[in-house]
Amino acid sequence: MKGPLFLAVMALATLATPALAQDRRGLVWDNRPSIVFGEDINIDLRGRAQFDWRKFDPQREEEEFDVRTLRIGLKGNLTEHLDWEIEREIAELYDEGATEDQIDLGLVEPKWRFGQWKDVFINWTTFDALSLKGGRFKMPFGLEQNTGVSDLDFAYRTFGSNKIAPGRDRGVMVYGDVLDGALLYEAGVFDDDGDNAEFSLEQFVLEGEDLQDAGPSFAARVVGEIFRGLPVPDRLKGAEVGIAYTQSDVPEGLNSLFGEDPFGFDFFERVYVKGRRQRTGLQFDWSPQSLGFRAEWMQSREQRLGQSNRNENLSDYIGTAWYGSATWLVTGEDKDSDVTPNNPLFQGGVGAIEIGARYDQLSFKSANTEGPAFRNPRSEHLLSNTVKQVTFGANWLVNRWVKVVANAIRQSYEDPERAPRVLGAETFGPTDFWSGLLRLQILF
Amino acid sequence: MRLLASVIIAVVLVSSPAAGQTQDDFFNPEVLQRVELWLHESDWEKLKANFQENTYYPADMIWNGITVRSVGIRSRGLGSRRAQKPGLRVDFDRYSDGQQFLGLKSFVLDNLSQDLSGVKETVAMKFFTRLGIPAPRETHTRLYVNGRYAGLYALVESVDKTMMGRVFGSINGNIQNDGYLFEYNYVLGSPWRFGYEGSALTPYKARFDIKTNESHAESLIWGPIEELVRLVNTTPSSSFEQTIGAKLDLPAFVRYIAAQNFIAQNDAFNGYDGMNNFYFYRLENSSVHTFIAWDEDNAFLVPDFAITMRLDENVLTRKTLELPSFRSQYFAVLSEAATSAAEWMRAEMQRQFNLIDQAMLEDPQKPYTNAEYQAERERLLAFPDARVSFVRCEVSKQIGAAAPSGCQ
Repeated sequence: MKGPLFLAVMALATLATPALAQDRRGLVWDNRPSIVFGEDINIDLRGRAQFDWRKFDPQREEEEFDVRTLRIGLKGNLTEHLDWEIEREIAELYDEGATEDQIDLGLVEPKWRFGQWKDVFINWTTFDALSLKGGRFKMPFGLEQNTGVSDLDFAYRTFGSNKIAPGRDRGVMVYGDVLDGALLYEAGVFDDDGDNAEFSLEQFVLEGEDLQDAGPSFAARVVGEIFRGLPVPDRLKGAEVGIAYTQSDVPEGLNSLFGEDPFGFDFFERVYVKGRRQRTGLQFDWSPQSLGFRAEWMQSREQRLGQSNRNENLSDYIGTAWYGSATWLVTGEDKDSDVTPNNPLFQGGVGAIEIGARYDQLSFKSANTEGPAFRNPRSEHLLSNTVKQVTFGANWLVNRWVKVVANAIRQSYEDPERAPRVLGAETFGPTDFWSGLLRLQILF
Repeated sequence: MRLLASVIIAVVLVSSPAAGQTQDDFFNPEVLQRVELWLHESDWEKLKANFQENTYYPADMIWNGITVRSVGIRSRGLGSRRAQKPGLRVDFDRYSDGQQFLGLKSFVLDNLSQDLSGVKETVAMKFFTRLGIPAPRETHTRLYVNGRYAGLYALVESVDKTMMGRVFGSINGNIQNDGYLFEYNYVLGSPWRFGYEGSALTPYKARFDIKTNESHAESLIWGPIEELVRLVNTTPSSSFEQTIGAKLDLPAFVRYIAAQNFIAQNDAFNGYDGMNNFYFYRLENSSVHTFIAWDEDNAFLVPDFAITMRLDENVLTRKTLELPSFRSQYFAVLSEAATSAAEWMRAEMQRQFNLIDQAMLEDPQKPYTNAEYQAERERLLAFPDARVSFVRCEVSKQIGAAAPSGCQ
């Protein structure tokens, strides 16, 4: 893996020639391989890869090298009014039918193959005020969740973006911007309730009953430049504030949202739920020149109808997350749009350099916090667990294709029994962990 | 801090109504207990549908007016697992740190699925206790699940640190419960009779499931077992007692296998398919191991079960009993068991039958008929007298003593 990787990095690092696609047809290089059929008809080949090297202190039971992302896709236009995109993951996967025991005992080996479909959608954009999107794409909830994995300010999304925001699903969405672009709206209906809420446990139904999925779900978001008409400094007028909401029905079972850290550790396992799941979100995004400030708060609330040990209703299950982050493009690029180095490496510069810091946290608990608390997934009072995370980051955008990310992450867990296990530890704990990460990202 | 407070509150709330009740009340063999479990209907269905899995489900337990919330229950057993009437393990601290009930962390509900009489296990364990062999406390209970009678079960003390403390007591105020406790794991298709399986620890790990000090180094946990097995297989008779005696309580071992033979237990240490059904404990700060009785529901096979049955098959048994002193002890324990059984066993069986009879007849889930139960009850009641006579006669032959009257 490392040989071809090195060659690809060197090739992309030196591919700094300007795009030559204008007025050409056929196979062209337009920052990526592209087939141009006509003025508004083209197909781009897209790919992205992320390779992570990680260190943990104290040492955790996690791999130190991780192929975080490997995707390939096509993106194109059919007419001036229609565009489309498909993207699929390539991952190390076990054969279907491989059991957990076989995997644990090393009796089966994973193989590199096509995995989950990511974006698969078509987009109609004739009118700015009314556009239509159909297929599989991200539901309109979560500022950071709706930011592409290669455009993030830090290596990993926050806890809330990963575990409360729904992510992708199949559906149809209307969207548009009005008031001269000051207000963006999105509203859609989706088949399930997003990849991040997908059931991972085998569903159990009594004889004669049918398996059920979550959903359909409804999601909507409104984002506005609320300071635009107010007597505030001009710099602040571009700040965007948004509110989002989702709602769906969840069938009975261990089907709730759950807590998982970026390295795959479950710090809050699923609980039994049944009934309505709601998410509410607030977002703030302000990018004055080379600075970026982002914050989000989001909460999920899931009903637990008839889920007690005696088949009675339990209080709602609540997940709450928030974060705030600040970044600075030291080399002066504008943060407000796709960041491309003003002076790429080998073109008279060193690329773009950005530094930043972020605080985020996620907690799960029950609405009722009276009486004894248990980890029992049918408990009226669930023993809460909160994880807090501080991330310090530096990004080096070598050119438009290559990015190097360095992050230092400190996590603190509330419940020692639901904190990551330290290699060789005799008892639970500690609850505080440092992680260091170096990522190489290649994007075309 | 908030976590700790929650846990303390939970423990206090669970334990306070139990004031005045003790573990002895819970395992009181004179009483047919009533245990209620309340769990979500779908969880009970799931547990029964997936009875071969060890998945835990949350439940509330009620005993004697005391409610214990958020216990964890799971299906248990090896050959005794049943969908219709699952054997259950009840863990009090599954969902809350340190939650205990009368000082217990867990107990077992034995479904009696392999015991048509319903009393083999409980009589056997009580008999072992009379003979001074470490054995769990047991009694019977009616089990109600979600208000419905789920059947007659044996209420069995878990073999754990709590029981080790009870059995081995304390030395200078230090409770002797921090040794290495293993549950013997019968590996299907791979019968084992204490033969040496090499210096790698893997085969011993597979056969001895560690139950305490799990996070210790493998060499600390299983190294002494590998050493014991190796020494048993390689040590000559001349130094066997001295060498092995430093690693295993040999008199206790001989007492254990003699008692198992007396009750005609065919699926035990010297079982028909290798070793089975026991716990193994390395005492605290010691290199000495000892055996703990477990799962005797295949006992009382036939009264004329040979008193030397398979003594030559198991390496440990064979080499120990090659020594005259231990061979004499083996037959002495059989005689002692016969004396004890003669004055106690039939009456105890009858007392237990009287206790469980109605509950057994009403058990809607037992995998046998009432007629089969009643036939087994009569067969079992005839066992003690016949077994005592048989053993006394056979022992006299083995030791060259005068045969008691009635021997052939």
